[in-house]
Amino acid sequence: MEMAIESLAGDVTKVVFNGRFDIAGAESVDLKMNVIAGSKKLVLIDMQKVSFLGSMGLRTIVSAARTVKGRGGKIAVYGPDAEVEKVLTMSGVNTLVPIHHDLQSAIASLQ
Amino acid sequence: MSDLQETAARQDRLTTSMNVDRANRTGEEQLTLRSQISDLAMVPPWVEHLASHYGISEETQYAMNLCLEEVLSNIIRHGYSNNPDCRIIVRYQSSQDKSSLLVVDDEAPLFNPLAADEMPVEDTLSGTRIGGLGIRLLRSFATRLEYEPTPAGNRLSMGFPAAR
Repeated sequence: MEMAIESLAGDVTKVVFNGRFDIAGAESVDLKMNVIAGSKKLVLIDMQKVSFLGSMGLRTIVSAARTVKGRGGKIAVYGPDAEVEKVLTMSGVNTLVPIHHDLQSAIASLQ
Repeated sequence: MSDLQETAARQDRLTTSMNVDRANRTGEEQLTLRSQISDLAMVPPWVEHLASHYGISEETQYAMNLCLEEVLSNIIRHGYSNNPDCRIIVRYQSSQDKSSLLVVDDEAPLFNPLAADEMPVEDTLSGTRIGGLGIRLLRSFATRLEYEPTPAGNRLSMGFPAAR
């Protein structure tokens, strides 16, 4: 899985995932995601190009949320497709990391 | 082992049972995995093959991939404690009503994953470990879950809705 990082206005860091967020996908981004979560306060996870989200991918997101929130920051998910959103909601992870489908409202929720 | 040998070895482990009724698209197929996380890469192509052969919907295909990843990775990491020389057998059964059943057999010490606590998500955020999400996902994405101990180890059966 690919992971790209963009800096947005308002000190928001956008993390763009692209591919399958399965075990191999999670392993390939965990280290980089830990660095982001440990150093940035406002994190937006762009899931538009994630075709599959498994439990290891969920754990990556929950772990990042725990770290960011523990440091007084905010984190949100943007643009998951229907199946990925179902995984986020069925697991209850959406109660920790809010899901947005509009980029501006996602960014606004972090301010 | 060369890439070619590896591919051949993997294909050897992809076996189809004799009991396939092509007219009614019912039957049983089997995938045998080594207890290695790298072998999980064989699962999505196998599920895709099943989907095209038995007319499984994309939604059910997604659910099968999700549940298999969770169950198989738990067996490898916890049941077999990362011992790479064990095996896991996954059987797919399609029935007349087009519903799908996945049966996972291992030879690990007895463990009933359905008896494991479903940890509140709040605890996964504040707690020291992240777990309990898996069983929540299984219960959400499989329509039926059954566990039974076997003489060799454990058997978990997961049901999924009828194909299109």
